[in-house]
Amino acid sequence: MIGCYVTGILPRTKELVELTRAYERGKADERELEKAFEDATLKAINAQSSAGLTYITDGMLKWQDLLRPFTENLAGVKAGSLSRWFNNNTFYRKPVIVDEIKREKSIIQNSSYIKLLPRNIPWKAILPAPYTFAQLSENQFYKSSEELMFKYAKILNEEIKSLAKLGFKYVQLSDPALVYKPFNQCVSKDKINAVSEALKAAVDGVQIKTCLQTFFGDFCKILPEALDFPIDHLGIDLYETDLNKLKDYHFDKGIALGLVDARNSLVEEVENLIESVKEIVESLHGSRQKDIFVCPNCDLEFLPWERAQEKMHAVGSVAKRLREELNE
Amino acid sequence: MNKLFPTQEVGSLAKPTWRVKGYRGAPLSKEDVAEALEWGRRLEIADKDVLVKLLTEKDSPKKRKAVLEWSAKYAIKLFEKAGLDIYYDGEQWRSEMYEHIIRNTAGFEFLGHVKSFDYRYFNKAACISKPKYVKPFYVDEFLFTKQNANGKIKVPFTGSYTLVDWTFNEYYQKKLRGKVKDFRRRKLEAKHEFLFDLINEVVRPEIRNLIDAGAEWIQIDEPAATTNPTEEEMELFVESFNATVKGFNCTFSLHNCYSNYGILAKYACKLRNCSQLTLEFANRDNQKTGVGDVRVGYKELKLFEDYGFRGKYGVGVVDVHTDFVEPPELVRDRILHVVNVVGDPSRVCASTDCGLRTRTWEVAFQKLKNLVQGAEMARKALK
Repeated sequence: MIGCYVTGILPRTKELVELTRAYERGKADERELEKAFEDATLKAINAQSSAGLTYITDGMLKWQDLLRPFTENLAGVKAGSLSRWFNNNTFYRKPVIVDEIKREKSIIQNSSYIKLLPRNIPWKAILPAPYTFAQLSENQFYKSSEELMFKYAKILNEEIKSLAKLGFKYVQLSDPALVYKPFNQCVSKDKINAVSEALKAAVDGVQIKTCLQTFFGDFCKILPEALDFPIDHLGIDLYETDLNKLKDYHFDKGIALGLVDARNSLVEEVENLIESVKEIVESLHGSRQKDIFVCPNCDLEFLPWERAQEKMHAVGSVAKRLREELNE
Repeated sequence: MNKLFPTQEVGSLAKPTWRVKGYRGAPLSKEDVAEALEWGRRLEIADKDVLVKLLTEKDSPKKRKAVLEWSAKYAIKLFEKAGLDIYYDGEQWRSEMYEHIIRNTAGFEFLGHVKSFDYRYFNKAACISKPKYVKPFYVDEFLFTKQNANGKIKVPFTGSYTLVDWTFNEYYQKKLRGKVKDFRRRKLEAKHEFLFDLINEVVRPEIRNLIDAGAEWIQIDEPAATTNPTEEEMELFVESFNATVKGFNCTFSLHNCYSNYGILAKYACKLRNCSQLTLEFANRDNQKTGVGDVRVGYKELKLFEDYGFRGKYGVGVVDVHTDFVEPPELVRDRILHVVNVVGDPSRVCASTDCGLRTRTWEVAFQKLKNLVQGAEMARKALK
């Protein structure tokens, strides 16, 4: 199939930004805050469906950062200091692992607006991948970061299965830390094998489609090993990846192409993107018929709401054109 | 400056309520006016009654301008009363370090608020045409400070690398659209072009004007210096600093804080004409007195030495993110510890970690007084 979706947290609408600021200053109450979140969530959902996205999220507007629902809802984890979110002018709270981590309740259900999701478009969930969760945490409890990664992978597995029961059809695991290697380091073979094992534990017995979405770094850094990850689709940030190198590899899996830059407000021209995407698909898939997804390279929350909306439209338009041109 | 351990602040100071409301044209409460009067008394500002009268006047452009001047005058007095050697005007004329320049330069458009963290946001602009210098944005405040300050003046100047990092680069990416096909290369080339246009078209003309107006020391503020810790980006940062200061007859320093000093240290020795690195350390340190191993916050200073930086250090010995007022003995020991690391006391200036804008005037004043006292104790200890 040729599909399209968003790959992370959407920006808050102007009204929601204003209300959360008022709430911070004590000038709005919980009830008003909740109402504003619901209104903005409906807008986020409508924007995705009117852009023609083939899977839909609730926009994740309540998520203060990718890890926060886990940081706040897992037993054994405390919210730590503010830390820079990779190379962005944005910050997240470091999860501090102080005890055995346990999933005592549903994580996503408590941070999302599942009840607002429409019935006629399949739902997508987005969760932190095992490697990224372990790397971005401050581990004060387990012997190694690897042990933490496997513990978290097990929890993730429970969470994904419960999401599938709720009706989600697709799950993306976000793994920026796996490719964010600012000083050209590669991930060692041992480490990448461990990552693959942890992913296997995370998706074990999962019946819905899975994607490992990488961003903020060059996908080539985890090639060729990533081609064998126990995951259905692989997501690539085209604004950080060496395209010439990438084109040397053949993918037997589906690909999610981060074609639209969520870190720049300039809205891409569909015409330009079509040409690039056809070239990339031709190199990576050749004549093999595999799933192709068009998406933003990372969370659209780096943009103001209006621009994010235009970018979603670009994503939908590219996918539509691609379906027409590839006669699907 | 011949004396050892000259004392300095880094730039900003909180804006008094009467400054914020007065400039916005909002009505002032009795308490706001009382605050102006009380600080006027404490800072021994002889004509403080003129300010009080001004604050009761009707809103007008003339009144707003005067409010800025008064708050700069108060801030300067606060620094002088605390006994600092080097200071500015508390950045009382500027809305904020990023917005102030962007709003006063052509080629930019603010797109709205994007998330910084939790329920905090920042107003982010896009560059939509080639940046163009339309009018001086620091010169007036500098001239006012020069007229009103008795000590040495250091002008804080938001660096070009940070301005570019905090701005959406639309114009240059668009320019390269059909020309560079590779997404990644296009992004890098566009950034390079944006950065050097901004330096040549906006930053350098303002520096020229500041120097012509009599500025002798400009501090380049680059909080984003290590945001992209790749070799390519760090080289670009160094190149941008060097291009900014090249050929000017003026003292330049670099301020960077809450960043990755392991990376910065590696590149600091490549900065040309950078007489001082002003760095934040107190925030990383503990509150115990003593020198040596106890000074955990200053570990990374040695890296700058090891990599070969040979200029001065404006070492943060006062934390701006806590209301804890460092006792002079703690300030003294932090300075003496740094002297041991650097070896040469003449390369050490006693500084706050960063601007004091997040502290109340009361806390800022106490902290600065202790900074001055602690530096004096360190001088005595070395004798």
